[in-house]
Amino acid sequence: MSDTAVAPTTESPAVAIKKVRKKRPIGFYIAASWIGLVLFLGLFGWILPTPKWDASFFDSLGVGPFSKGHILGTTQDGYDEFAGLVNGARISIFVSFIAVTVGGGIGSFIGITSAYFRGTYDKIVVTFFNILLSIPNLVLSLALLSVLAYSDENHPSSTNRRVVVLIISLIVVIIPILGRIGRGATLQWSSREFVLASKSMGTKDFMIIRKHVLPNVAPALLAIGFLAIGSVIIVEGSLAILGIGVPGGASWGSMLANGRGNLEFSPWEVYCPALCIAFTVISCNWFGDYVRTALDQREAKI
Amino acid sequence: MAGTGKAHMRPEGDRVLVVEDLTVEFNLGKNKVVKAVSGVSFDLVRGETLAIVGESGCGKSTLGKAVLQLPKPTSGSVNFLSKELTTMSKSELRDMRPAMQMIFQDPVSSLDPRQPVSAVLAEPLQVWNKGSEVEIDQKIDELLTAVNLDPAVVRDRRSYEFSGGQCQRISIARALALDPTMIICDEPVSALDVSVQAQILNLLQDMKDRYGLTLVFISHDLAVVKTISTRVMVMYLGKVCEVATPDELYTNTKHHYTKALVGSVPIPDPDRPITGNLIQGEPPSPMSPPSGCRFRTRCPQASEKCAQEEPELREVSLGHFVACHHPID
Repeated sequence: MSDTAVAPTTESPAVAIKKVRKKRPIGFYIAASWIGLVLFLGLFGWILPTPKWDASFFDSLGVGPFSKGHILGTTQDGYDEFAGLVNGARISIFVSFIAVTVGGGIGSFIGITSAYFRGTYDKIVVTFFNILLSIPNLVLSLALLSVLAYSDENHPSSTNRRVVVLIISLIVVIIPILGRIGRGATLQWSSREFVLASKSMGTKDFMIIRKHVLPNVAPALLAIGFLAIGSVIIVEGSLAILGIGVPGGASWGSMLANGRGNLEFSPWEVYCPALCIAFTVISCNWFGDYVRTALDQREAKI
Repeated sequence: MAGTGKAHMRPEGDRVLVVEDLTVEFNLGKNKVVKAVSGVSFDLVRGETLAIVGESGCGKSTLGKAVLQLPKPTSGSVNFLSKELTTMSKSELRDMRPAMQMIFQDPVSSLDPRQPVSAVLAEPLQVWNKGSEVEIDQKIDELLTAVNLDPAVVRDRRSYEFSGGQCQRISIARALALDPTMIICDEPVSALDVSVQAQILNLLQDMKDRYGLTLVFISHDLAVVKTISTRVMVMYLGKVCEVATPDELYTNTKHHYTKALVGSVPIPDPDRPITGNLIQGEPPSPMSPPSGCRFRTRCPQASEKCAQEEPELREVSLGHFVACHHPID
């Protein structure tokens, strides 16, 4: 009782953050620049003086990269490759962002509440997640798409409807992925004594979730969220290859799908969108990894 | 030994807490039930410090949490300030929460690593609308000063910047924030260095005197208990063995388990020979406790009677109760 607190000798948080900043790996800069570039092209690509993405240039069918007017060449049907990629970036950002935020939001909410409240609700949720996870992503989206956006020559479904159904099917894929992460992290954090202390002082459950559980669970969710953006892009690409992606060759996946028959005449039709998908997925993974490390909270050890 | 009974209750006293036949069982599924606490009764007179001792896994912490209904006990009654907690609705129970607080064993895990100290201490005050922001700020400074921390230095720091002892001071300050009647201290010093233990124990004693608290002090360390408690309750495998004042318990031990516990307190003297009254083996599984007296499987005096009949607490001398068929003379 005689002692007074000795000022902790650790450096202030500001200094600690600066130190972390210095140690950023080179991969982070590459990933961040690529994501920045894709974001810029997706959001502001229409400013660039590119040819129209959905217009066919009959005077230059299948010209190679670096030709006049078409920096990455055109497809065998005369569509400008670069304009297509820029438009694809917009679609990819739109589809993956909506799918991951909505699906991730729903999934984390269900996962966090089920781990926090436990009981029958938790059992139902776990079963539900397991059922969803036991179906391969691609098969699940495929089934949803073919049921909800069924079309044949007599009943063509509209492009918008196909996109909406595509996003819904991707949301269904994301829900159990982030739901399980949220549930697992919450199980770990909600058994901590500071949560019990909050309960014992009468803090209401949703307040505890908001103030104590969510901030501690968020890093894991963000990291997996970035990974999920990557896998959503891949799933979308795979669906396009199967002929049920975003219609009209609008997304990277559909460009790839449309171009794969022309591989021997104009390989850039395949390489360009494929490289875009690969770089974006890798960048999202690296970036997610970095976010997790950066947000990792130090804890004292006794 | 290790029995039931209510001979040690004091209905004539000014009782803050009356716990009767408290049972906590955890269902593991497949007909497996862990009987963590079985029919424990005790009462708490205003201003006293009741120590609950026993080895790891005997149900001390579970008992402490069950008193606070975290989670609700399986059966039995918990009467706090003349109000029955076990049958209360969620909102009624919430209204009782400020009067009963808890301090936990792990000082680091007790504090949210993402919150600065000011937010940790503001939470109870904000939840119960104890004044404006300025008033809450003042109260935080007051609390920190009370537990011997310098508010200017610690306010904006987070738990990982503190030592275990400092974290425990913050936990104590948080428990004091709502002016509780009773604080349950669940092994508050067992994770700390011996030198820091003494500081925290003195602090608790100080706070108790200053705020007129009633304490339940859960511990496995008899040496710690001796300095702080006014009454000691020894538990074994979810049952009460012996209840007495600490001096009586140490000098006039009646229960064979208590004797083993007292004998296990290390004495810092390298020349002292190791005496051979240590009990052997592990405590039995709380999933299938022995019949009769729960301590009989490890007790040197166990007889046929111990296997058939569960001993009840009875008074052997004034204020000294023991649950044993063959108490030590």
